[in-house]
Amino acid sequence: MTTKRKRSLFIASFILPTLVLYSLFIFYPIIRAIYISFFDWSGSSENMNYIGFGNFREMYSDPIIYKAIANDYFLIFWKVIGIMTIACFFAVALTRFRMRGASFYRVVFFFPNVLSIVVIAVLWRFIYNPSLGLLNDILSLIVQREVEIPWLGDSRYSLWALLPPAIWAGIGFFMILLIAAIKSIPASLYESAEIDGAKQWKQFTKITIPLIWEQVKVSIVLIVITSLNGSFAIVSVMTEGGPDNATQVLGYYLYQMGFKQYHMGYASAIGVFILVLSLITTAILQRLMKRDTVEVS
Amino acid sequence: MKTKKIVFLSLTVLLLLAVGLTGCGGSNKSAESAKPSASASTPATESASSSAEESPSAEAGPTLAGDFEVQYCVGGYGDSWQKSMVKQFKEKYPDVNIIESAGPKINDQMKPRWIQGDPPDLVFIDCAGGLDVLQSIKDGQLMDLTDWLKTAQNVDGELISDLLIAPAEDFGGKNYTIPFVFGSWGTFYDQALFREKNWEVPTDFDSFLAVSEKIKASGMEPYVHTGVHTGYFTGGFLFPAIVSANGDDPAILKDMADLKEGVFKSEPVMKALQQIVTLRDKGFIDKASGALNHTDSQIQFVQHKDAFIPNGLWVENEMKQDTPAGFEFGMIPSITQAPGGKYIANPYTSPIAIASKAKNPEAAKAFIQFIYSKKAAIEWAELTGALFNVKVDLNGSKASALSISASKYYSSPDLVVLPAVTNNEDVKKEWENATLALTYGKVTPEEWADRVEKAAAKARAKNKQ
Repeated sequence: MTTKRKRSLFIASFILPTLVLYSLFIFYPIIRAIYISFFDWSGSSENMNYIGFGNFREMYSDPIIYKAIANDYFLIFWKVIGIMTIACFFAVALTRFRMRGASFYRVVFFFPNVLSIVVIAVLWRFIYNPSLGLLNDILSLIVQREVEIPWLGDSRYSLWALLPPAIWAGIGFFMILLIAAIKSIPASLYESAEIDGAKQWKQFTKITIPLIWEQVKVSIVLIVITSLNGSFAIVSVMTEGGPDNATQVLGYYLYQMGFKQYHMGYASAIGVFILVLSLITTAILQRLMKRDTVEVS
Repeated sequence: MKTKKIVFLSLTVLLLLAVGLTGCGGSNKSAESAKPSASASTPATESASSSAEESPSAEAGPTLAGDFEVQYCVGGYGDSWQKSMVKQFKEKYPDVNIIESAGPKINDQMKPRWIQGDPPDLVFIDCAGGLDVLQSIKDGQLMDLTDWLKTAQNVDGELISDLLIAPAEDFGGKNYTIPFVFGSWGTFYDQALFREKNWEVPTDFDSFLAVSEKIKASGMEPYVHTGVHTGYFTGGFLFPAIVSANGDDPAILKDMADLKEGVFKSEPVMKALQQIVTLRDKGFIDKASGALNHTDSQIQFVQHKDAFIPNGLWVENEMKQDTPAGFEFGMIPSITQAPGGKYIANPYTSPIAIASKAKNPEAAKAFIQFIYSKKAAIEWAELTGALFNVKVDLNGSKASALSISASKYYSSPDLVVLPAVTNNEDVKKEWENATLALTYGKVTPEEWADRVEKAAAKARAKNKQ
């Protein structure tokens, strides 16, 4: 056995298992979904009828698809803003402000991440319950008359009502990510800035942000991708896309089409569309957030 | 140096072994995912022992033998009735080897078998994820039972079609399914509360409005429904209203199921929608409804936040744990008829069907003949608390009070029992969405009609493909 051969064998021993598993559980399903998207198939019989791009043409003329896209990006936009602002604030507060009990807060803020998203959604369903829920009770106390707003049942509020649980559930993870980034910034930078008379805000914008920009970028891309794929769970438990498609998102519409209305081909086409959409969005985001990397030297 | 080399080599071998093993694990999984039928059905499949005695059955019925597979889900009705039926059937036909594919998730587990064209012989279509009847007929998965059903007698020699409360559904002149559960949508209220407050139980739409006025004045909300699953509201309110407005002729529901052009704009439908508008404008529909799923809305109802709720006969059983003491469920078949008009009972049913690719259709037919008997129907009522789709006198049986009183309703001449119809899922979803929007004043009845007509046109075009 030559050294070169040994070397490639060694490398292969690391790559192959991953490759096999990846192909099996990620690559094959994607290919299969693309294949199915060209068929008119109920998902429960042998009959698969090839219709070419028929499903995609139908999507083009389906108004609910457009609504779902708009809702998806609405959620993404506010989730990015909400999660990043709050996570950033917490991360800075817990690292830079030398407050007491920082580790306690770190655990508390991270806690929602340990809960399943389904549990979170059920919990918030109770909070939003029009006549028995916590939120309306508190509002009633404040305004001194009975408030019975159906948060999830009125199309004016329902989409907004999905945001707090989604943001609440997301903060912890990104806060930890940013804390780690901030902690890797040398303390000497802050010290010299302080000597030069830079206040906390100046330090934040001139030192912290540029030096953690890579992590911020990664976080935003992560939020975008997980929202495009993962809004399903929260919508499924809290509203099922209702009322009247007011909270419909692509992920749930896919499920509804495939498993409740028996158009598996159409559902697969939506899946392919989500894939394309995620790729495009990520590419655009990478472009938009391009900055000269600042490195600590 | 040499030892180092040996260590390195052995490490590589170890790693390679690991790779091989993981690879194996992976490929095993692939075999499983490619052919899940075998693995999925084994845990749930129970084979009744075929060691019965040789003696021929007492009756001179057809000689049946071989494997006979029946698929049923274990849901709200449990499985004790099916187990008992299988046992009795086995005693009658000892040469038949009955395979029960059953479980709470059996619909998902059996799906690959249906996709591969290897279905069971007989299927109870029930629970989440069950076959979509219309789609299965289109896909040719269900056996045409039209001719057989015309003459089929049950084990006691009675014509099955005569016994059915809800007749076998008509799909373009053919029958593919036979309903086995029979229940009814209706409007529920608390009899004790109504007695205490001296409210009259409504008998028609006018008296419903009158009593709702009183209820509202007392500080209670009159009417709640589940906006997340609008099917409860359409089943308990809208459809009876449409039939009442159509001069008690249920044919219009068939037209709706057949997606006849213009039926969703027709006068009876518009009249019924107008009744929803009346309810809405008087503020009788609890504004919370849109946000509630069925459990939420039922909790509101048993907690006396609301006086009426459209629901099904199962609600009493379902809410047993959460119902306060003293609560007495009462049911009105319909509240939308004009004064003096007939009550409309809108049934909900779950059907049974034979697969077109059944390997033992004779046994499947014999099983149907076996279970559609009065004796089996009484046993069903006693074991599940619900009604079997067979006309039978439940007096003296151990069935629940609500079931007994409901079964009396269905033999009354003052009541129109609607036929069971299966609707196109796409169009149904659209009218449910539009109906919810209507209760909030987001759309007008005319817009409702336009939306549903449009969805129907799309579905018609699809059916032609």
